[in-house]
Amino acid sequence: MRISDLLNDAMITVSFEDTTKENVIRTLIDLASGSGRIQDKETALKAVMERERLMSTGLEKGVAVPHAKTGTVKDLVLTLGISREGVDFASADGKPSHLFFLLLAPVAAAAPNIQALAQIARLTGNPEFCEMLKKAQSPKEALEIIRKAEK
Amino acid sequence: MLPNGPIKKILVYIDGSEECIAAAQYAIVLAKSFGARLTALYIVNISLLEELVKARIFIKIEEMDYQQDLEQDGKRYLHYISEMARSKGVEIRTELVKGIVNKEVVKKIDELEIDLLVMGELEQIHSRSETFHDEAEITFRKAGCSVLVVKDPERVERIFELME
Repeated sequence: MRISDLLNDAMITVSFEDTTKENVIRTLIDLASGSGRIQDKETALKAVMERERLMSTGLEKGVAVPHAKTGTVKDLVLTLGISREGVDFASADGKPSHLFFLLLAPVAAAAPNIQALAQIARLTGNPEFCEMLKKAQSPKEALEIIRKAEK
Repeated sequence: MLPNGPIKKILVYIDGSEECIAAAQYAIVLAKSFGARLTALYIVNISLLEELVKARIFIKIEEMDYQQDLEQDGKRYLHYISEMARSKGVEIRTELVKGIVNKEVVKKIDELEIDLLVMGELEQIHSRSETFHDEAEITFRKAGCSVLVVKDPERVERIFELME
């Protein structure tokens, strides 16, 4: 599975100004909601925050992958936020997070959900990819970086 | 029916994709035509779940939860395929196992002495690295028997529907 197939320019923001975990997630959900892919934003937010309460999805090296299964989406929904300053996302290494991949999945779509998360894990496991993505100046550029990495 | 035909045991690999339904339909048609014994296999891909735990994207409780989801999906698909086979008067055996997909398929081919593996159309490979991660691709290469990759699902469906 290619995550670039799940994204488009409207699902990416490179000018994140949020400073809290909840606001970051809210902004990413708003991005998806703008394209009509989420029926109920508050339900989606609640599902993601509940998962975050179990343990932060802030990984190492500035990457966070908030995710949840929710009945408020019909297909996989992925949005990407990039913050140059970084946000305290209670990450595993204690450092600020810069790249936020938010994935919402329908309740009955375990296999594609897992495949998409695994693809995010593989891509973000490459420090060069993360550095390039962090510097993207526009959603278009960010998407191009992801497409190239997936070729 | 060709009771002494070259294909006596067919294994169809079910992965929950639309393509695997066409594979199952074709496998049922072949099983009936050759008088072959048919087995449908679904594998709960635990290696991907472990990969996500290792990457810290999943926590243990989530891994278990998703494993259950995959098992439920597998049961649903196998039940659906069993019903399809029965509707055509074909006996089918179903198996759901957990493990690494390509290893489990190869193991089952040996264990059941399968003559033909039937699988859905492979996904397009966009990069070299995908060939290392795409389980269907790896299975196709590692299978120790002949492999039939089913294409043109619309045509296959017509053949399936026309079969009495």
